[in-house]
Amino acid sequence: METSQQTTTVLVRRIVVTAMMVAITVLLGLLPVGGFIPFPTGVNATTLHIPAIIGGILEGWLVGGLVGLFFGLFSLIRAATPIFKDPLVAIIPRLFIGVTAYFAYAGLKRFNQLVAVGVGAAVGTATNTILVLGLAVLRGYMSIEVASGVALAHGIPEIIVAVVITVSVVAAWRQISTRRQGSSV
Amino acid sequence: MSRLEFLRYVTIGQYLARESIIHRLDPRFKLLAFGLIIVAITFSTTYLANVILVLMVVLLLILSKLPLGHTLRGLRPALPALAFLALFQVLFPPQTFGSANDCSVLLRWRFVELTSCTLQLILVSTARLVELFVLTSLLTFSTTTTELVHGTEGLLAPLQRVGFPAHELSLVVTIALRFVPTLALQMERLVKAQIARGADFGTSGRLGFIRAIRRLLPLLIPLFLISLRRSEALIVAMDARGYTGGRGRTRLRRLQARPADYLALVVVAAFCAATLYVDHASLDQSLVAWLRTLLRSLRGY
Repeated sequence: METSQQTTTVLVRRIVVTAMMVAITVLLGLLPVGGFIPFPTGVNATTLHIPAIIGGILEGWLVGGLVGLFFGLFSLIRAATPIFKDPLVAIIPRLFIGVTAYFAYAGLKRFNQLVAVGVGAAVGTATNTILVLGLAVLRGYMSIEVASGVALAHGIPEIIVAVVITVSVVAAWRQISTRRQGSSV
Repeated sequence: MSRLEFLRYVTIGQYLARESIIHRLDPRFKLLAFGLIIVAITFSTTYLANVILVLMVVLLLILSKLPLGHTLRGLRPALPALAFLALFQVLFPPQTFGSANDCSVLLRWRFVELTSCTLQLILVSTARLVELFVLTSLLTFSTTTTELVHGTEGLLAPLQRVGFPAHELSLVVTIALRFVPTLALQMERLVKAQIARGADFGTSGRLGFIRAIRRLLPLLIPLFLISLRRSEALIVAMDARGYTGGRGRTRLRRLQARPADYLALVVVAAFCAATLYVDHASLDQSLVAWLRTLLRSLRGY
Protein backbone atom coordinates (compact mmCIF):
# COMPACT_ATOMS: atom_id res chain seq x y z
CA MET A 1 0.00 0.00 0.00
CA GLU A 2 2.67 2.54 -0.85
CA THR A 3 1.27 5.85 -1.98
CA SER A 4 1.30 6.47 -5.70
CA GLN A 5 3.69 8.86 -7.40
CA GLN A 6 1.17 11.25 -8.88
CA THR A 7 0.57 14.29 -6.70
CA THR A 8 -3.19 14.42 -7.22
CA THR A 9 -3.57 10.83 -6.06
CA VAL A 10 -1.54 11.58 -2.98
CA LEU A 11 -3.77 14.58 -2.30
CA VAL A 12 -6.97 12.58 -2.80
CA ARG A 13 -5.61 9.73 -0.68
CA ARG A 14 -4.71 12.07 2.16
CA ILE A 15 -8.09 13.82 2.08
CA VAL A 16 -10.08 10.57 2.00
CA VAL A 17 -8.11 8.68 4.65
CA THR A 18 -8.15 11.71 6.97
CA ALA A 19 -11.91 11.99 6.49
CA MET A 20 -12.49 8.29 7.20
CA MET A 21 -10.42 8.36 10.37
CA VAL A 22 -12.24 11.51 11.51
CA ALA A 23 -15.54 9.74 10.81
CA ILE A 24 -14.47 6.80 13.00
CA THR A 25 -13.39 9.18 15.78
CA VAL A 26 -16.73 10.99 15.71
CA LEU A 27 -18.64 7.70 15.53
CA LEU A 28 -16.81 6.15 18.49
CA GLY A 29 -17.43 9.34 20.45
CA LEU A 30 -21.17 9.24 19.77
CA LEU A 31 -21.96 5.53 20.17
CA PRO A 32 -22.49 3.86 23.55
CA VAL A 33 -20.12 1.04 22.54
CA GLY A 34 -16.51 1.35 21.48
CA GLY A 35 -15.25 4.79 22.41
CA PHE A 36 -14.94 4.52 26.17
CA ILE A 37 -14.07 1.62 28.44
CA PRO A 38 -15.35 1.96 32.02
CA PHE A 39 -12.48 1.60 34.45
CA PRO A 40 -12.43 0.76 38.15
CA THR A 41 -11.06 4.24 38.86
CA GLY A 42 -14.40 5.79 37.89
CA VAL A 43 -13.03 7.53 34.82
CA ASN A 44 -13.23 6.00 31.35
CA ALA A 45 -10.28 4.91 29.26
CA THR A 46 -10.62 6.04 25.66
CA THR A 47 -10.02 4.57 22.23
CA LEU A 48 -10.79 7.81 20.40
CA HIS A 49 -7.15 8.59 19.71
CA ILE A 50 -6.54 5.35 17.79
CA PRO A 51 -7.77 6.69 14.39
CA ALA A 52 -5.19 9.47 14.63
CA ILE A 53 -2.45 6.89 15.26
CA ILE A 54 -3.57 4.63 12.41
CA GLY A 55 -3.90 7.61 10.07
CA GLY A 56 -0.40 8.74 10.99
CA ILE A 57 1.20 5.32 10.54
CA LEU A 58 -0.56 4.54 7.25
CA GLU A 59 -0.43 7.93 5.53
CA GLY A 60 2.20 10.01 7.25
CA TRP A 61 2.46 12.71 9.91
CA LEU A 62 0.27 15.24 8.10
CA VAL A 63 -2.76 12.94 8.04
CA GLY A 64 -2.11 11.91 11.66
CA GLY A 65 -1.91 15.54 12.74
CA LEU A 66 -5.09 16.51 10.89
CA VAL A 67 -7.09 13.62 12.33
CA GLY A 68 -5.83 14.76 15.73
CA LEU A 69 -6.93 18.34 15.01
CA PHE A 70 -10.47 17.26 14.21
CA PHE A 71 -10.46 14.89 17.21
CA GLY A 72 -9.56 17.89 19.37
CA LEU A 73 -12.28 20.08 17.85
CA PHE A 74 -14.82 17.29 18.33
CA SER A 75 -13.90 16.75 21.97
CA LEU A 76 -14.05 20.54 22.52
CA ILE A 77 -17.59 20.67 21.14
CA ARG A 78 -18.84 17.59 22.98
CA ALA A 79 -17.03 18.31 26.25
CA ALA A 80 -19.07 18.05 29.44
CA THR A 81 -16.18 18.83 31.80
CA PRO A 82 -14.41 22.17 32.20
CA ILE A 83 -11.04 20.53 31.40
CA PHE A 84 -11.96 19.76 27.81
CA LYS A 85 -13.96 22.99 27.35
CA ASP A 86 -10.53 24.62 27.42
CA PRO A 87 -9.35 24.76 23.79
CA LEU A 88 -5.71 24.53 24.90
CA VAL A 89 -6.22 21.18 26.62
CA ALA A 90 -8.69 19.81 24.08
CA ILE A 91 -6.87 20.57 20.84
CA ILE A 92 -3.12 21.08 21.23
CA PRO A 93 -2.23 17.62 22.69
CA ARG A 94 -4.28 15.89 20.02
CA LEU A 95 -2.34 17.51 17.18
CA PHE A 96 0.73 15.54 18.17
CA ILE A 97 -0.76 12.03 18.58
CA GLY A 98 -0.47 11.02 14.93
CA VAL A 99 2.73 12.99 14.40
CA THR A 100 4.77 11.30 17.15
CA ALA A 101 3.22 7.94 16.25
CA TYR A 102 4.39 8.38 12.66
CA PHE A 103 7.94 9.39 13.53
CA ALA A 104 8.34 6.56 16.03
CA TYR A 105 7.09 4.15 13.38
CA ALA A 106 9.21 5.64 10.59
CA GLY A 107 12.34 5.48 12.70
CA LEU A 108 11.94 1.80 13.52
CA LYS A 109 10.31 0.31 10.44
CA ARG A 110 13.64 -0.68 8.88
CA PHE A 111 14.19 -3.20 11.67
CA ASN A 112 10.78 -4.76 12.06
CA GLN A 113 7.47 -3.54 10.66
CA LEU A 114 5.25 -4.96 13.40
CA VAL A 115 7.42 -3.78 16.27
CA ALA A 116 7.60 -0.34 14.65
CA VAL A 117 3.80 -0.17 14.41
CA GLY A 118 3.43 -1.25 18.04
CA VAL A 119 5.97 1.29 19.27
CA GLY A 120 4.29 3.97 17.15
CA ALA A 121 0.92 3.22 18.76
CA ALA A 122 2.43 3.27 22.24
CA VAL A 123 4.24 6.56 21.60
CA GLY A 124 1.10 8.16 20.12
CA THR A 125 -1.02 7.14 23.10
CA ALA A 126 1.62 8.29 25.57
CA THR A 127 1.75 11.64 23.74
CA ASN A 128 -1.98 12.07 24.25
CA THR A 129 -1.92 11.09 27.94
CA ILE A 130 1.16 13.10 28.86
CA LEU A 131 0.26 16.28 26.97
CA VAL A 132 -3.41 16.33 28.08
CA LEU A 133 -2.54 15.78 31.74
CA GLY A 134 0.50 18.06 31.53
CA LEU A 135 -1.57 20.93 30.14
CA ALA A 136 -4.34 20.20 32.67
CA VAL A 137 -1.76 20.64 35.44
CA LEU A 138 -0.32 23.78 33.84
CA ARG A 139 -3.76 25.33 33.45
CA GLY A 140 -4.54 24.49 37.07
CA TYR A 141 -7.31 21.91 36.67
CA MET A 142 -5.43 19.16 38.49
CA SER A 143 -2.62 18.79 40.95
CA ILE A 144 0.46 16.98 39.72
CA GLU A 145 -0.14 14.04 42.09
CA VAL A 146 -3.65 13.44 40.75
CA ALA A 147 -2.39 13.75 37.18
CA SER A 148 0.40 11.22 37.61
CA GLY A 149 -2.06 8.81 39.24
CA VAL A 150 -4.42 9.16 36.29
CA ALA A 151 -1.48 8.77 33.91
CA LEU A 152 -0.53 5.42 35.43
CA ALA A 153 -4.06 4.10 35.89
CA HIS A 154 -5.18 5.07 32.39
CA GLY A 155 -2.09 5.53 30.31
CA ILE A 156 -0.95 1.93 30.59
CA PRO A 157 -4.27 0.21 29.71
CA GLU A 158 -4.86 2.76 26.95
CA ILE A 159 -1.43 1.98 25.53
CA ILE A 160 -2.18 -1.76 25.58
CA VAL A 161 -5.54 -1.32 23.82
CA ALA A 162 -4.04 1.04 21.23
CA VAL A 163 -1.10 -1.27 20.50
CA VAL A 164 -3.29 -4.35 20.06
CA ILE A 165 -5.79 -2.61 17.78
CA THR A 166 -3.24 -0.66 15.73
CA VAL A 167 -0.96 -3.65 15.17
CA SER A 168 -3.91 -5.86 14.15
CA VAL A 169 -5.34 -3.26 11.78
CA VAL A 170 -2.06 -2.25 10.15
CA ALA A 171 -0.85 -5.85 9.83
CA ALA A 172 -4.12 -6.94 8.23
CA TRP A 173 -4.26 -3.91 5.94
CA ARG A 174 -0.67 -4.04 4.73
CA GLN A 175 -0.75 -7.84 4.81
CA ILE A 176 2.33 -8.01 6.94
CA SER A 177 2.79 -11.68 7.70
CA THR A 178 2.52 -12.68 11.30
CA ARG A 179 3.62 -16.10 12.32
CA ARG A 180 0.06 -17.22 12.84
CA GLN A 181 -1.66 -18.39 9.72
CA GLY A 182 -5.34 -18.10 8.98
CA SER A 183 -7.43 -15.48 10.68
CA SER A 184 -5.21 -13.19 12.67
CA VAL A 185 -8.19 -11.35 14.14
CA MET B 1 -33.12 -3.76 21.41
CA SER B 2 -33.59 -0.06 20.74
CA ARG B 3 -30.13 0.46 22.27
CA LEU B 4 -28.80 -1.23 19.16
CA GLU B 5 -30.27 1.24 16.71
CA PHE B 6 -27.05 3.17 16.40
CA LEU B 7 -28.36 5.85 14.07
CA ARG B 8 -30.27 7.23 17.07
CA TYR B 9 -26.97 8.28 18.61
CA VAL B 10 -25.76 10.12 15.53
CA THR B 11 -27.11 13.49 16.48
CA ILE B 12 -25.08 15.85 14.37
CA GLY B 13 -26.83 17.91 11.75
CA GLN B 14 -30.33 17.99 13.23
CA TYR B 15 -31.62 20.53 10.76
CA LEU B 16 -35.18 21.76 11.35
CA ALA B 17 -36.56 23.39 8.23
CA ARG B 18 -38.44 26.64 8.88
CA GLU B 19 -39.18 29.78 6.89
CA SER B 20 -37.32 32.33 8.98
CA ILE B 21 -34.85 35.19 8.72
CA ILE B 22 -32.26 33.16 10.63
CA HIS B 23 -32.61 30.20 8.30
CA ARG B 24 -32.20 32.41 5.24
CA LEU B 25 -29.02 34.16 6.41
CA ASP B 26 -25.88 33.56 4.39
CA PRO B 27 -23.99 30.89 6.40
CA ARG B 28 -20.76 32.93 6.31
CA PHE B 29 -22.47 35.90 7.93
CA LYS B 30 -24.32 33.64 10.34
CA LEU B 31 -21.06 32.07 11.49
CA LEU B 32 -19.40 35.47 11.92
CA ALA B 33 -22.37 36.81 13.89
CA PHE B 34 -22.39 33.72 16.11
CA GLY B 35 -18.67 34.13 16.70
CA LEU B 36 -19.25 37.73 17.84
CA ILE B 37 -22.02 36.69 20.22
CA ILE B 38 -19.82 33.93 21.66
CA VAL B 39 -17.06 36.50 22.30
CA ALA B 40 -19.61 38.74 24.04
CA ILE B 41 -20.81 35.79 26.18
CA THR B 42 -17.27 34.76 27.10
CA PHE B 43 -16.29 38.21 28.34
CA SER B 44 -19.50 39.26 30.08
CA THR B 45 -19.30 38.82 33.83
CA THR B 46 -22.00 41.12 35.21
CA TYR B 47 -25.66 40.37 35.88
CA LEU B 48 -27.07 43.06 33.59
CA ALA B 49 -24.95 42.03 30.59
CA ASN B 50 -26.00 38.42 31.04
CA VAL B 51 -29.68 39.34 31.32
CA ILE B 52 -29.30 41.20 28.03
CA LEU B 53 -27.55 38.22 26.44
CA VAL B 54 -30.20 35.73 27.61
CA LEU B 55 -32.90 38.00 26.18
CA MET B 56 -30.90 38.26 22.97
CA VAL B 57 -30.56 34.51 22.39
CA VAL B 58 -34.25 34.00 23.23
CA LEU B 59 -35.13 36.73 20.75
CA LEU B 60 -33.00 34.98 18.10
CA LEU B 61 -34.76 31.72 18.92
CA ILE B 62 -38.17 33.37 18.44
CA LEU B 63 -36.99 34.97 15.19
CA SER B 64 -35.89 31.56 13.91
CA LYS B 65 -39.37 30.12 14.58
CA LEU B 66 -37.80 27.11 16.25
CA PRO B 67 -39.74 25.43 19.09
CA LEU B 68 -38.57 26.95 22.38
CA GLY B 69 -39.45 23.93 24.50
CA HIS B 70 -37.73 21.46 22.21
CA THR B 71 -34.52 23.49 22.24
CA LEU B 72 -34.47 24.00 26.00
CA ARG B 73 -35.25 20.33 26.67
CA GLY B 74 -31.72 19.49 25.56
CA LEU B 75 -30.46 21.36 28.63
CA ARG B 76 -32.05 18.91 31.04
CA PRO B 77 -29.18 16.38 31.16
CA ALA B 78 -26.79 19.19 32.12
CA LEU B 79 -28.80 20.24 35.19
CA PRO B 80 -27.36 17.74 37.75
CA ALA B 81 -23.81 18.61 36.72
CA LEU B 82 -24.66 22.28 37.03
CA ALA B 83 -26.11 21.83 40.53
CA PHE B 84 -23.06 19.83 41.57
CA LEU B 85 -20.73 22.50 40.22
CA ALA B 86 -22.64 25.21 42.10
CA LEU B 87 -22.41 23.23 45.35
CA PHE B 88 -18.71 22.72 44.76
CA GLN B 89 -18.18 26.45 44.23
CA VAL B 90 -19.97 27.28 47.48
CA LEU B 91 -17.96 24.75 49.47
CA PHE B 92 -14.61 25.61 47.90
CA PRO B 93 -14.87 29.20 46.66
CA PRO B 94 -12.55 29.62 43.68
CA GLN B 95 -11.03 32.83 42.47
CA THR B 96 -13.78 35.16 41.40
CA PHE B 97 -14.30 37.87 38.86
CA GLY B 98 -13.88 40.85 41.15
CA SER B 99 -11.11 41.30 43.66
CA ALA B 100 -11.78 39.56 46.96
CA ASN B 101 -12.26 42.77 48.98
CA ASP B 102 -15.53 43.85 47.44
CA CYS B 103 -17.29 40.56 48.16
CA SER B 104 -19.85 40.69 50.93
CA VAL B 105 -20.97 37.64 52.89
CA LEU B 106 -24.63 36.92 52.21
CA LEU B 107 -25.12 33.73 54.21
CA ARG B 108 -23.07 31.93 56.80
CA TRP B 109 -23.72 28.42 58.09
CA ARG B 110 -21.01 26.76 60.20
CA PHE B 111 -17.88 26.90 58.06
CA VAL B 112 -19.68 27.45 54.76
CA GLU B 113 -20.20 30.98 53.63
CA LEU B 114 -21.88 32.29 50.52
CA THR B 115 -20.37 35.53 49.33
CA SER B 116 -21.84 37.83 46.73
CA CYS B 117 -18.91 36.97 44.45
CA THR B 118 -19.58 33.23 44.63
CA LEU B 119 -23.27 33.83 43.98
CA GLN B 120 -22.38 35.96 40.98
CA LEU B 121 -20.01 33.28 39.70
CA ILE B 122 -22.71 30.60 40.00
CA LEU B 123 -25.49 32.65 38.43
CA VAL B 124 -23.31 34.03 35.64
CA SER B 125 -21.83 30.65 34.72
CA THR B 126 -25.33 29.12 34.66
CA ALA B 127 -26.55 31.94 32.44
CA ARG B 128 -23.50 31.47 30.22
CA LEU B 129 -24.16 27.76 29.80
CA VAL B 130 -27.80 28.46 28.87
CA GLU B 131 -26.76 31.17 26.39
CA LEU B 132 -24.09 29.02 24.73
CA PHE B 133 -26.36 26.00 24.63
CA VAL B 134 -29.26 27.87 23.03
CA LEU B 135 -26.89 29.53 20.59
CA THR B 136 -25.20 26.33 19.39
CA SER B 137 -28.57 24.54 19.10
CA LEU B 138 -29.88 27.49 17.15
CA LEU B 139 -26.96 27.30 14.76
CA THR B 140 -27.25 23.55 14.10
CA PHE B 141 -31.07 23.60 13.96
CA SER B 142 -31.19 26.45 11.45
CA THR B 143 -28.23 25.53 9.21
CA THR B 144 -27.65 22.36 7.23
CA THR B 145 -24.24 20.73 7.57
CA THR B 146 -23.54 21.49 3.91
CA GLU B 147 -24.22 25.17 4.54
CA LEU B 148 -21.99 25.11 7.62
CA VAL B 149 -19.12 23.52 5.72
CA HIS B 150 -19.48 25.89 2.76
CA GLY B 151 -19.77 28.85 5.12
CA THR B 152 -16.58 27.90 6.92
CA GLU B 153 -14.81 27.37 3.62
CA GLY B 154 -16.00 30.77 2.44
CA LEU B 155 -14.71 32.44 5.59
CA LEU B 156 -11.33 30.72 5.27
CA ALA B 157 -11.06 31.38 1.53
CA PRO B 158 -8.89 34.52 1.89
CA LEU B 159 -6.31 32.37 3.70
CA GLN B 160 -6.12 30.13 0.65
CA ARG B 161 -3.93 32.73 -1.07
CA VAL B 162 -1.20 32.14 1.49
CA GLY B 163 -1.43 28.38 0.97
CA PHE B 164 -3.95 27.45 3.64
CA PRO B 165 -5.86 24.39 2.30
CA ALA B 166 -9.37 25.69 3.11
CA HIS B 167 -11.06 23.75 0.32
CA GLU B 168 -9.30 20.48 1.17
CA LEU B 169 -10.09 20.75 4.88
CA SER B 170 -13.76 21.45 4.22
CA LEU B 171 -13.84 18.44 1.89
CA VAL B 172 -12.41 16.33 4.73
CA VAL B 173 -15.26 17.48 6.98
CA THR B 174 -17.86 16.87 4.28
CA ILE B 175 -16.64 13.32 3.61
CA ALA B 176 -16.33 12.56 7.33
CA LEU B 177 -19.87 13.76 8.07
CA ARG B 178 -21.14 11.84 5.07
CA PHE B 179 -19.66 8.59 6.34
CA VAL B 180 -20.57 8.80 10.04
CA PRO B 181 -24.10 7.38 9.50
CA THR B 182 -22.79 4.72 7.08
CA LEU B 183 -20.18 3.59 9.58
CA ALA B 184 -22.80 3.69 12.35
CA LEU B 185 -24.90 1.17 10.42
CA GLN B 186 -21.77 -0.89 9.84
CA MET B 187 -20.96 -0.85 13.55
CA GLU B 188 -24.54 -1.85 14.34
CA ARG B 189 -24.15 -4.86 12.08
CA LEU B 190 -20.84 -5.80 13.74
CA VAL B 191 -22.33 -5.54 17.23
CA LYS B 192 -25.36 -7.62 16.25
CA ALA B 193 -23.11 -10.22 14.64
CA GLN B 194 -21.15 -10.48 17.88
CA ILE B 195 -24.32 -10.67 19.98
CA ALA B 196 -25.59 -13.46 17.73
CA ARG B 197 -22.40 -15.31 18.65
CA GLY B 198 -23.06 -14.86 22.34
CA ALA B 199 -21.18 -11.66 23.14
CA ASP B 200 -22.65 -9.49 25.89
CA PHE B 201 -22.37 -5.75 25.46
CA GLY B 202 -24.52 -4.95 28.46
CA THR B 203 -23.11 -2.84 31.22
CA SER B 204 -20.62 -4.98 33.01
CA GLY B 205 -19.25 -3.44 36.18
CA ARG B 206 -16.21 -1.24 36.15
CA LEU B 207 -14.16 -4.18 37.42
CA GLY B 208 -14.70 -6.15 34.24
CA PHE B 209 -12.58 -3.81 32.19
CA ILE B 210 -10.29 -6.47 30.75
CA ARG B 211 -13.32 -8.30 29.40
CA ALA B 212 -14.64 -4.97 28.08
CA ILE B 213 -11.40 -4.42 26.17
CA ARG B 214 -11.44 -7.95 24.75
CA ARG B 215 -15.01 -7.49 23.55
CA LEU B 216 -14.00 -4.31 21.72
CA LEU B 217 -11.39 -5.96 19.51
CA PRO B 218 -13.78 -7.88 17.19
CA LEU B 219 -15.68 -4.59 16.69
CA LEU B 220 -12.94 -2.02 16.22
CA ILE B 221 -10.57 -4.01 14.03
CA PRO B 222 -13.20 -4.84 11.36
CA LEU B 223 -14.53 -1.28 11.61
CA PHE B 224 -11.12 0.13 10.74
CA LEU B 225 -10.50 -2.38 7.95
CA ILE B 226 -13.94 -1.83 6.39
CA SER B 227 -13.52 1.93 6.44
CA LEU B 228 -10.02 1.68 4.94
CA ARG B 229 -11.45 -0.51 2.17
CA ARG B 230 -14.20 2.06 1.60
CA SER B 231 -11.64 4.84 1.37
CA GLU B 232 -9.72 2.92 -1.31
CA ALA B 233 -12.94 2.71 -3.33
CA LEU B 234 -13.58 6.41 -2.80
CA ILE B 235 -10.03 7.33 -3.83
CA VAL B 236 -10.41 5.41 -7.09
CA ALA B 237 -13.83 6.98 -7.68
CA MET B 238 -12.55 10.51 -7.11
CA ASP B 239 -9.48 9.93 -9.27
CA ALA B 240 -11.59 8.44 -12.05
CA ARG B 241 -13.76 11.56 -12.04
CA GLY B 242 -10.71 13.78 -12.33
CA TYR B 243 -10.72 15.45 -8.92
CA THR B 244 -7.65 17.66 -8.72
CA GLY B 245 -8.17 19.71 -5.60
CA GLY B 246 -9.75 23.09 -5.06
CA ARG B 247 -8.01 25.19 -7.71
CA GLY B 248 -10.35 26.37 -10.45
CA ARG B 249 -13.26 24.43 -9.02
CA THR B 250 -16.75 25.88 -9.38
CA ARG B 251 -19.85 25.25 -7.32
CA LEU B 252 -23.41 24.29 -8.01
CA ARG B 253 -24.66 26.77 -5.46
CA ARG B 254 -22.73 29.96 -4.93
CA LEU B 255 -23.01 31.87 -1.70
CA GLN B 256 -24.10 35.40 -2.44
CA ALA B 257 -24.39 37.97 0.31
CA ARG B 258 -27.48 40.17 0.25
CA PRO B 259 -27.88 43.58 1.94
CA ALA B 260 -29.91 41.85 4.67
CA ASP B 261 -26.89 39.71 5.57
CA TYR B 262 -24.67 42.76 6.04
CA LEU B 263 -27.41 44.47 8.03
CA ALA B 264 -27.79 41.44 10.33
CA LEU B 265 -24.05 41.33 10.95
CA VAL B 266 -23.91 45.07 11.73
CA VAL B 267 -26.87 44.82 14.11
CA VAL B 268 -25.35 41.85 15.94
CA ALA B 269 -21.93 43.55 16.12
CA ALA B 270 -23.49 46.74 17.53
CA PHE B 271 -25.48 44.71 20.02
CA CYS B 272 -22.40 42.79 21.19
CA ALA B 273 -20.36 45.97 21.50
CA ALA B 274 -23.15 47.54 23.55
CA THR B 275 -23.33 44.47 25.81
CA LEU B 276 -19.58 44.49 26.35
CA TYR B 277 -19.73 48.23 27.14
CA VAL B 278 -22.52 47.63 29.67
CA ASP B 279 -20.44 44.86 31.17
CA HIS B 280 -17.20 46.80 31.22
CA ALA B 281 -18.68 49.97 32.68
CA SER B 282 -20.53 47.93 35.36
CA LEU B 283 -23.68 49.83 34.50
CA ASP B 284 -25.68 47.42 36.65
CA GLN B 285 -23.97 48.71 39.78
CA SER B 286 -24.54 52.31 38.83
CA LEU B 287 -28.14 51.39 38.02
CA VAL B 288 -28.58 49.87 41.47
CA ALA B 289 -26.93 52.90 43.05
CA TRP B 290 -29.19 55.22 41.09
CA LEU B 291 -32.31 53.25 42.15
CA ARG B 292 -31.15 53.42 45.77
CA THR B 293 -30.73 57.19 45.70
CA LEU B 294 -34.10 57.48 43.97
CA LEU B 295 -35.76 55.38 46.71
CA ARG B 296 -34.03 57.41 49.42
CA SER B 297 -35.12 60.69 47.94
CA LEU B 298 -38.67 59.37 47.60
CA ARG B 299 -38.65 58.33 51.26
CA GLY B 300 -37.56 61.87 52.12
CA TYR B 301 -40.79 63.31 50.75
